[in-house]
Amino acid sequence: MNRAVVIGGGLHGLSTALHLARMPGWQVTVLERRHVGRHSSGVNAGGVRRLGRDLREIALSVVSAEMWQDMPALVGDDCGFTPGGQVKVAESEADLRKLEARAEQVRALGWTHEEVVDRAEVRRLLPAVAPHVVGALVTRGDGSADPMRTVMAFRRAAQQAGATIVEGAGVTAIERTATGTLRVVTPDATHEAERVANCAGAWATTVARMAGEEIPCGVKASMMIVTERLPRFCEPTVGAASRALSFKQTASGTVVIGGGHQGLNDPETETSTVLFDRLAHAARIAAELFPCVAGARIMRTWTGTEARTADEIPVIGESTTMPGLFHSFGYSGHGFQLGPAAGAAVAELMARGATNLPIAPFTQARFAA
Amino acid sequence: MRVAVVGAGPAGVRAVEQLLRAGIEPAWIEEAPDGGGRIYQRPPPGFARSHRALYGADAKRAQALHATLDALKPRTDWRPETLVWNIRPRDGVLDVVTRGTRPGEIRFDALILCTGAMDRIVPVPGWTMPGVTTLGGAQIALKAQGAAIGARPVFVGTGPLLWLAALQYAKAGASPALVLDTTSFLTKLLATPGLLWNTPTFLRGLRYTAALRARGVTIAEDATPLAIEGEGKVAALRWRDSGWREHVAPCDAVALGWGLKPEAQLADLAGVPFRFDAAQHNWVPERDAAGRSPVPGVYLAGDGAGIGGAEVAEHAGARAALALLEDHGRSVDLALRGHLDGRLRTEARFRAALERAFPFPAHLARRMADATILCRCESVTAGELREAARLGAPEVNRAKALSRVGMGRCQGRVCGPPAAEVLSEALGIPVEQAGRLRGQPPVKPLPMPMVAP
Repeated sequence: MNRAVVIGGGLHGLSTALHLARMPGWQVTVLERRHVGRHSSGVNAGGVRRLGRDLREIALSVVSAEMWQDMPALVGDDCGFTPGGQVKVAESEADLRKLEARAEQVRALGWTHEEVVDRAEVRRLLPAVAPHVVGALVTRGDGSADPMRTVMAFRRAAQQAGATIVEGAGVTAIERTATGTLRVVTPDATHEAERVANCAGAWATTVARMAGEEIPCGVKASMMIVTERLPRFCEPTVGAASRALSFKQTASGTVVIGGGHQGLNDPETETSTVLFDRLAHAARIAAELFPCVAGARIMRTWTGTEARTADEIPVIGESTTMPGLFHSFGYSGHGFQLGPAAGAAVAELMARGATNLPIAPFTQARFAA
Repeated sequence: MRVAVVGAGPAGVRAVEQLLRAGIEPAWIEEAPDGGGRIYQRPPPGFARSHRALYGADAKRAQALHATLDALKPRTDWRPETLVWNIRPRDGVLDVVTRGTRPGEIRFDALILCTGAMDRIVPVPGWTMPGVTTLGGAQIALKAQGAAIGARPVFVGTGPLLWLAALQYAKAGASPALVLDTTSFLTKLLATPGLLWNTPTFLRGLRYTAALRARGVTIAEDATPLAIEGEGKVAALRWRDSGWREHVAPCDAVALGWGLKPEAQLADLAGVPFRFDAAQHNWVPERDAAGRSPVPGVYLAGDGAGIGGAEVAEHAGARAALALLEDHGRSVDLALRGHLDGRLRTEARFRAALERAFPFPAHLARRMADATILCRCESVTAGELREAARLGAPEVNRAKALSRVGMGRCQGRVCGPPAAEVLSEALGIPVEQAGRLRGQPPVKPLPMPMVAP
C-alpha cells in the first residue's frame, strides 16, 4: 500500500485526495489546519466558468467543465451546479470589438465555447440588463454552484473512497527520511508517506518553504456582497468586458456581487477584512448594469483568502527541491471550476509521475527565468 | 475629546446628561426618529395619547425621560434616524447611514454603546405566518402606531412583558383569547423572596395578573405552545396544559416572547469579548460594574450590556458616563457615583430573582420538531441544522456556513439563540459551547443606494 498526505482541506486538496484514494493501492490522509473549506473554497462566488479564461487555462477548464456536467457521477451530489450560462457584457462598441477579438483568439486555438451575441440575444438572456449594453460574450453550459455544498460533497466522497481527513492538524515541517520517504509533521502526529501534495492555498508558499523551495506567490482577499432576496430576474452569471464584476442571482433569490475587489488580508492571523469603500465600487457597477438591484439592501459582505501568482494562473507540478512533493495552488481567485480536473491531474502525477491532463503551462519553472 | 453615544433610550439619555454636565458635547446617534428607546417609544408627531395611556404605571418615568431627552438633544450633535452599521475600533470610526440613504463617518475617542435589547423567541410551528409577532412588536404597534395586532390576540411566552402587553391590549379594547405562560406558578413563587428587592415592580406584576383575570382572560401557566394554525393567516393556537391536555384557542393574532436578549452586535464589532450569562441564559458583552468594557474607550450601558430593564438602564447609563469621565481625568460627582453603585447592586439582585422567576424555556427550543422552520429569513428547518451537526459543525458559526442558519436579513439576531439550543442538544454539549453567531458588518441590511448612488 502506498501512502499519500494531502496538505490542505480546501476543494483542491479534497479533489486530489478523492481521485488518489480511488486509485488502487493508495492510502490517503488529508491534513487540514482548521476545518474543511475554511477559506476561499467554502466562501467563493461559486462561478463555474470557462468563459474568459487565461488561454493557458482553457484546456484544463474544458476538461473540468465536462466533470461539472456530471457531478453526481463524481461525488454523488450535484453540488448545487446550475448551468445557467456565463455572460460577459459589452457596454460600448469598443467593448464589443474587444470581445469579438477574444472570441476569435479562442476559436483559433480550436475551442468553440465562447460565442459573441448581439443586443437582442443579450436581452433574451438578461431581460433586466441596462439599456446601454450592446452585446456580450457567452458560454452556454457554464454556470455556478454552491461552494460549501461542493466542498462537503468532495469531503464525503473522499472519505467514502477511503481517505482519512484530519481537521485541526497544521503542518509544521516536511522532512525526508533515511529510507527516502517523506515525513509530514504536525503538533500532534507525524505522517510518513511516499507522496505529499501541497494544496494549502494562501499558505502554500510556507509549505513549499518547508521543502526548501521558494515559489513567488502573493495572496488576495476578494470581497463579496450578498443582497436580500429579490424576485427572479437573472439566470446566468454575469461579468463585464471592461469593468471588474461578477454578478449572479442564487437559487434563493439573493444576488451575489463580486469581481475581485480586494479587501484587507492578514495571513498571520488567517483573517481578512472587508473594505467598504471598495465594495461600494462593486455595488455601483452592479446597479449600473442591473438597475433593478439599485433599491435592494445589502445583507452580508465577506472575503475569502486565496493565493495569487504573478501571472494569475496556478502552480501545478512536482517540487524541484523535494521530489515526491507536488504543488497545486495559486489559483488566483478562479480555481473553483478547475477543482475536479486539477485534482485528477495532481493525483495522476502523484501516482504515476505523469498525466495526460493539460497542466504543462502551470509548472513553477516558469518563474525561474 | 470626541465622545459618541449610540442609542437614546433610558441608558443613552442618562449617559448624555452626565457628559453634558461635565462639558462634553457628544455625537448622539439614534436609529429611530426620536429617542425614548423601545420601552418609552414615542408615538409619531400628530398622535395625541397621554403618557398615562401610553406608559401606564411607568408614565412618570417616561415623562421625566422625555423631558430630559428634549432638553439635551439641542446641546449635542443629535443624529436621529441614523444606523451605525459598522465600527472600526482601531481607527475610532463609526460608519453610519442616515435616513437610509446618506452615508457618513463619525470619529470618536470614546464610545458609549446603549444599544438596547430585542425579544427572545422560540420558534413554534406556524410562527412565520402573517399575524404572528413578538411581544415587543405587539407593544410597539399599540404604543407607537395606535394599532392592535388583532382583536382576539393570544400572548405566549414568559416574563413581565407577557402580562404587561396582554393587559395593555385588554385596556385598549382588544379581547385577549389566552395568555400562555410557559413558566409554572411554583417557579415564580419560589423566586418571590428575591423579587422583594424591588417591591413596587414586584407588586405591579401581581396587579397585572389580577387585572387580566378580572377581565375574564384565560390564563394558563406551565403550559406549552404546540402550533400556530391557520390557512395563510393565524386562526388558532394549539397548546397543552400542565396536565398534558391539548386545547385549541381560536385567535386572530399571536404575540411571542421569552424575555429579552441584548442587541450587542456593535459591542462585538468594537472588539468586546462576550461571556455566557447562565442566569440570563444570554451572551453578554464583558464589562465591569461601572460599564467599562475590556476595550479601552468603549463603555456599555443598558439592556445592550445585559438585560436589566429600564430603571437599571437609566442608572447604568449615568454610571458609564461617569466611568468614561474618570478614565479621562475628569473629576466626577462622588455622591452620585456612590448612589448609582448602590442602586445598581440592589437592582442586580432583583434581576437575578426575575431570571429565576421567568426562565428561558430552553427545552422547547431543544425539542423543536425537525420540520419546524428555525431561521425564517433563509427558511432553514431545525432538521437541517441537526444535519449540519451530523456533518461535524462543532459550533453555530460552522453550522451557519453549512446550513445557512442566520445568513438572512436578521443576521441571526432572531434565530441565533434557539439555533444554539438545537445544536447543543444535537451535539450533546452545553449551550455555551455551541457558541454564538459572530457579528459582521453591516449589522443590519444596508441600502444599496447608499453605497451605489
